[in-house]
Amino acid sequence: MINTTYVLECSINGKAVAVSVPASKRMSDILRDDLLLTGTKVSCEIGRCGACMILLDGKPVNSCLLMAYQAAGKEVTTIEGISAGEELHPVQQAMLEEGGLQCGYCTAGMVVTLTALWETNPTPTRAEAEEALCGNICRCTGYEGIFRAVEKCGLSMKREGQKPL
Amino acid sequence: MLLGRDTYAKKWIIRPDGEEKVTGKLRYLTDLTAPGMLHGKVLRSRYPHAWILSIDTSKAIMTPGVRIVVTAEDVPGMNLFGIAFPHQPVFCHDRVRYIGDALAAVAADTEEIAEYALSLIEVVYEPLPVVDDPETALEAGAIKLHPDGNLLHRTSLKHGEAETAFEGCAHIVEETYFTPRQMHTYMETEGGLFVPEDDGRLTVYSPTQHGYKDRMQLSRILGMAEEQIRVVSSPIGGSFGGKDELNVQPFGALMALKTGSPIKMHNSRRESVISGIKRHPMRIKMKTGADHEGRLIAHQVSILADTGAYATLGCEVLNFATEHAIGPYNIPNVDVQGTSVYTNNGVSGEFRGFGGNQVIFSVESQIERLAEKLGMDSWELRKLNLRAPVDPGPMGQQIVQTEGANQVWSKVKESPLWAKRGKLKRGGESEEQQDQAERLQAEERDDKCEDQVPWIRRGVGAAMVMHGAGLGLGIPDHSGGRIELTPEGKIQASFGFEEFGQGLYAALTLMLQDFFGCTAEDIRIVIGDTDRVPSSGSSTASRATTMMWRALQQLKPPFVQALLQQASALAGLAAEELATGAGGIHRKGDESGMPVVTYAELAEAADAAAKPIIAHTEFDYPTTPEGLVGAHYLYSYASVIVEVEVNMLTGRVKVLQTDHVIAAGPVINPMGFLGQIEGGSVMALGYTLTEDAVMKESNYVRHNLDTYLVPTFKDSPHTIRVEAIEDLPEGDTFGPRGVGEIGSVGLAPAITAAVRQATGIWVNRLPISPESIVQSIDWLEGVEAID
Ligand code: FES
Ligand code: FES
Repeated sequence: MINTTYVLECSINGKAVAVSVPASKRMSDILRDDLLLTGTKVSCEIGRCGACMILLDGKPVNSCLLMAYQAAGKEVTTIEGISAGEELHPVQQAMLEEGGLQCGYCTAGMVVTLTALWETNPTPTRAEAEEALCGNICRCTGYEGIFRAVEKCGLSMKREGQKPL
Repeated sequence: MLLGRDTYAKKWIIRPDGEEKVTGKLRYLTDLTAPGMLHGKVLRSRYPHAWILSIDTSKAIMTPGVRIVVTAEDVPGMNLFGIAFPHQPVFCHDRVRYIGDALAAVAADTEEIAEYALSLIEVVYEPLPVVDDPETALEAGAIKLHPDGNLLHRTSLKHGEAETAFEGCAHIVEETYFTPRQMHTYMETEGGLFVPEDDGRLTVYSPTQHGYKDRMQLSRILGMAEEQIRVVSSPIGGSFGGKDELNVQPFGALMALKTGSPIKMHNSRRESVISGIKRHPMRIKMKTGADHEGRLIAHQVSILADTGAYATLGCEVLNFATEHAIGPYNIPNVDVQGTSVYTNNGVSGEFRGFGGNQVIFSVESQIERLAEKLGMDSWELRKLNLRAPVDPGPMGQQIVQTEGANQVWSKVKESPLWAKRGKLKRGGESEEQQDQAERLQAEERDDKCEDQVPWIRRGVGAAMVMHGAGLGLGIPDHSGGRIELTPEGKIQASFGFEEFGQGLYAALTLMLQDFFGCTAEDIRIVIGDTDRVPSSGSSTASRATTMMWRALQQLKPPFVQALLQQASALAGLAAEELATGAGGIHRKGDESGMPVVTYAELAEAADAAAKPIIAHTEFDYPTTPEGLVGAHYLYSYASVIVEVEVNMLTGRVKVLQTDHVIAAGPVINPMGFLGQIEGGSVMALGYTLTEDAVMKESNYVRHNLDTYLVPTFKDSPHTIRVEAIEDLPEGDTFGPRGVGEIGSVGLAPAITAAVRQATGIWVNRLPISPESIVQSIDWLEGVEAID
């Protein structure tokens, strides 16, 4: 066994957490294996698919590329922390209503990215939405349902002055 | 009707498994853990082809934290697996035939230790020459990969005399098409949890498309009765055909039994790439001839499929390709020859579309080329040769008649996207229809090529698909289901199908509501657990929807009768006066909405009388009466239209819009239907533009999603319109057909037709390489130099 004395202290979904892990352990593994927060998925492990997306101080980050020490003292939000109690986040509700998911394996990461977009740029153009979401791969939906969800959840696309896409 | 939330408002429901997915609460089988579990890892081959002289695991087993190392010697039963015929070794011991071959597996306290231990296993190999090409694999002197040689399977389909019929043709097109090794790229890589139970049984929590088949195969490998094994197989993070074959299950199961501890396995993407099956790369030669009027006279096809090191469903995929190599056309003289060949390349197997994608790309491309030779519109050419409802199927077999082919093709003509064909202004070019184009541009701003630069071109193309449903004759295609009233008073339907994203829960919920007039609250669905469900066959070949619908059709009369009899006794009303509805049994014509007997009361009474209310059914997927192996009986039809934009400087093709028209019977679950077509379409977009699991000397060159490029948000079309043609002929007893595959088949030829229209370049190799566009610089002609 690899012994470690590094203790990662950070906040995860609003709760202060201290876990003893190797300083270079990936956040995605800490979440899934040590904290059993399996809503965060791992698919590529190299920052390409977005299945492992979390919010780090409110910004979307691939947790497979984030090492434990990089999260020290920060606010981590995972998919488990997106909805307030029983109530779904508008992004989640929109994904449900518009068929923005199928197998659901990309969905957690997708919702996390969408939440960040919703909070930073609630009226994106189609191009901006694409830009924000192109780090999240979905193999099932063909993205159309997700775009419908984007439009639905108040992220109404601004069209004025834009070339319609 | 165009599919959408407004057009199908009544049936547009939130999927029952959706909330757990959007909140991250859903536990996939690769998310599971168990106390005291060990981590399993598999040692794969270093060479694509080699003799194994020795395997020494002594150092690995001595590593602290390692609990077991297993090799071929440790397999108690048959050291082989394979969905069609078992000949792929669980562990190789004398020879490796591809880079994904397993030699040993380790279970350890942590994944890191297991991985480290793999590096300590000493294997002495004697590398052998690599057979990396199906053509050379068939040469006389080629080294044999299997005792019977390198030929897996041959097919042949003949009508008339193609060879001589070409003599009478006015126009002939001859071309060879190349299709890539596509990777399923399900987002959840293979894995699962393998738990030895106290009573000696084994529980396998591992995603698969066919729990019963896995159970059967595991029983053979483990030398253990099937009943001793429980396979839990849903939910699945995507499959697309890729998890129908066993993957990590033999290793996890074996080590769990040997150690007595639960074993967790979860492939890295790299392991998934190396060991997972892919879509068959094919080389397809076609020669097609027509008379002066454009009537197709002769069609000669030779298909060469690279099946890789082991068979899996290589024979069946080739059968399907052979059957579909004619498309939906009437051609009197046909000669199709198929050959599937073993190589040291990655194993090819089942993948959405099942061999149809490759040949339909080819045959539709032939039609386009022929139309040009004839100076005929390609829509007209297809129309002229399209099969009629009464015409036999491609193998001359009797098939279920529908108007589908004609309906989907007629719809192309009505599509506004199709109307743009030939009217799009190409930047820098003088177009005959420039006036019209300008008017169009004024109307629809998005029709304008960006900045009117000469190197951006637009085009529109279409293609047509006829796709068989079910496994086809010759493969056991059994199904069944069960329905019962639970002690809590719920109508519970149990099926052996799996939910891998396609929306089976939603489809079944809607069907049950429709059949029994009940609400979603009254329903329970049980799937994906061999201990709890009847065998229904695999969730594959677009069969699940049809099979569930048929099962319910058969289950309804006895089940409803039992319910009504019970209710009649309780309520003192004649059974004829009663009907099932929301919450229980209602009196016909009663507007109150209140049941006279609730389901809970019925369940109680049934329990008291020890007369459970339950119905079972078993049946086979319908097949054609003729005994033609591989032949299908039910077909669905689709047409697809695309608009592309080609950048002549970068060689990049962008698909702007696609329209799909699908004739597959009544739409059960519109959200799911739409999603399947949209998703299949974008998967086909990847197939056409970027996806290729390139192999060099039988080694994978691309190991992850940084080099194997599946479409992202940015690559997907801005509009995908899906129109469903729902009518079936009067008295059709087969009901709705599945649409899991059909949306993924026709896009490639539609795109290449659009590229031809935009650029004048014919593409015969997928994915379309930017080089093939850029290197053809004919477009420079007529463009004035810009200083
Ligand atoms: S797993 Fe982190 S981006 Fe793919
Ligand atoms: S829903 Fe399956 S990958 Fe997105």
